[in-house]
Amino acid sequence: MAGIKVNRERGAKTRSKAWHPRGGRLRTWLADHRRVALETSLSISRRIFGSLLVWLMIGVALAMPGLLWMLQSNLQGLSQQWQGNTGLTIYMALGASEQSLEEIATVLEREPAVIRFQLTTPQQALEELLAQSSESDLLRQAIAEIEANPLPASFGVILDSEQSYLAFEVISRQLSGRSDVEEVVVESLWLERLRDLSRLGNRGGSALITMLLAAAVLVSFATIRLAIDTRLAEMRVLALIGATRAQLRRPFLYLGSAFGLGGGMMAIFLIAVFLKQIEVPLESLLVSYGWDPELSAFTPQIILLLLTAGWVLGIAGALLALIQRLGVKNSS
Amino acid sequence: MTYLQLQHVTQRFDNGSEGLSEVTVDIEQGSMVFLTGHSGAGKSTLLKVLIGALVPTSGRVVVGGSDISRLGPRALPWYRRKLGIVMQDHNLLDDRSVFENVALPLRITQLGTREIGRRVRGALATVDLSDRGHLYPRHLSTGEQQRVGIARAVVNRPKIILADEPTGNLDPYLSRQVIALFHQFKDLGTTVLVASHDIDLIKDQGCRILHLSQGSLVQDTDGTKG
Repeated sequence: MAGIKVNRERGAKTRSKAWHPRGGRLRTWLADHRRVALETSLSISRRIFGSLLVWLMIGVALAMPGLLWMLQSNLQGLSQQWQGNTGLTIYMALGASEQSLEEIATVLEREPAVIRFQLTTPQQALEELLAQSSESDLLRQAIAEIEANPLPASFGVILDSEQSYLAFEVISRQLSGRSDVEEVVVESLWLERLRDLSRLGNRGGSALITMLLAAAVLVSFATIRLAIDTRLAEMRVLALIGATRAQLRRPFLYLGSAFGLGGGMMAIFLIAVFLKQIEVPLESLLVSYGWDPELSAFTPQIILLLLTAGWVLGIAGALLALIQRLGVKNSS
Repeated sequence: MTYLQLQHVTQRFDNGSEGLSEVTVDIEQGSMVFLTGHSGAGKSTLLKVLIGALVPTSGRVVVGGSDISRLGPRALPWYRRKLGIVMQDHNLLDDRSVFENVALPLRITQLGTREIGRRVRGALATVDLSDRGHLYPRHLSTGEQQRVGIARAVVNRPKIILADEPTGNLDPYLSRQVIALFHQFKDLGTTVLVASHDIDLIKDQGCRILHLSQGSLVQDTDGTKG
C-alpha cells in the first residue's frame, strides 16, 4: 500500500450522505486552523536559520520594488511641488544694438516652445535695481557714482512646460552661439530632467518591479515545494487515513503565509535601514540646492502594502507549489 | 448482514492489463476474511479499490449501503475515516512519537485533546504498547512498529480494517500475534479483510479465504465451517 498513488477523477457531483460529517463543522474547522497555525509556528522556530534566509530573500525581492515605489512617489512629489513654468533669461552683451534686440525678439516670436517674452532694456534694469535698493543708501550712492550703465539688456522668456526640455536646450544653444548674447540661463531645466527621469522610472520600474515580485513568488514556491517533498510520505499517510484536500493543503498555505508576511516585515526592516543610511547625506544634498522639500518615507500605507504584498506573494508561491507537486485533482 | 459488496468489479489499467476481472463477493459485517493469491493476483488492487484509491473500470463497490466507487473527492476522506488501514511497511512518520503516530487519525477528525489521549492510550494498550508512547518509531522493533500501525488503524474505531500483507516483514511468532489482534477486533464487530500470501498462516485461522489469481476470484473457502 505504500506505493499508492492517488490520482483519480471522480464524479464530483456524486456524494453519499453516509460518509459526510455531521455537525460542528465550523468548530472543528477553526480548531484545525489553530492546530496548523501552531504547528507552522513550531516548524518555523525549529528551522529558524532556514526561515530567516527565506524571509531575507523575499524581503530583498520586496524591498527593491518598495524603494522604487517610494523613489517614484518622491520624484513625482518633487516635480509637483514646482508650480511655475520653465523659463529662460537671455542676457545680451553690453552695448547690444537695437537691431540685435529686434533679431532676438523675432527668433523668440517664431519659436513654438515660447509662451511669451519680455525685453528689459539696460535703463529699465537699472531702474529696477535702484527700486530694489531703495532702502540702502550706500548702494544707491554707489550706483549713482557709476558713469555708464553697467547692466545689459535682457529677455525674460516663459517656456511651455509641456514641451521637452530638449527643445529648451536647442533654443538655449541657438541663442548662446550669437556674439551679441552674453549668456543664456535656463531656469528649472533640472526639473524637466527630473520629470523625464520620473517618466522613465515609471516605465522601467514597472518591469523591474514585476520581475522582483515574480522572484518573491519563486522563492516561496521553491521553499514550499521543498517542504512538500520532505513531507510527501506524511501526506500520503494523511490522505489514506482521511485527511481532506483542504487539510492536506493547509499546512503549506500557512507556511507560505508565514514566509510572505516574514518577507514583508524583512522588507520593511531593510528599507528602514537603507533610508536611515541615506537620510543625512540626502538632506545635506537637498539643502545645498536650497531645497527643503517634503519627502515621504514610511507611511502606514507603504507598510500595509509591503505586508499585504508579502502575504499574497507567499500564498501565491505556496499555491503554485501545491498545484505543481500535488496537482489540483490528485489530493484525495 | 452483508456489509461489503463487490459486484462484477473489473479494474483495467492504462497498459491494458486487468488488475481485477469481474470480481463479485459479499462480506458479512463483523467477519474476518483473508485474501490470498500469488504476487500480482490482484489482492492489493482489490484493497486499493476498497480504500477508494482506484476507481473500478466497471462494477460497483458497496460499503455500508453506499457505492463508494462513485464517491466525489470531497466525500472520499470522510469514507476513509471509517476505515482502518494497515500496511506492510507500517507507514509510520519517523519524526513523530508513537503516541503522535497513533493520534493522527484523531487529529484529522479534530477530537479534543483529552479524548485523543484517552483513545490513543486505549489503542496502545490493545496492542500491548502502553509503555512505548513516548518513543519514536526508530526505537521500536519491526513487530512493535507493525503493532503501532495497527493501533493507528483501530484508534478511530473503524467499521472495516483493511490490511495489506500486515505480516510480510514479521517472523511466524509475531505474525500470529498480529493475526490474533485482528481476531480481537473481529470479535468486537469490526469487519476485517487481510491480504496475505502466507497460506500457512491463514489456513487454520477458521476464517473465510478468498483466493485470487490473475485478477479473478478463483476460490472462496469458508474456513468457519471447516
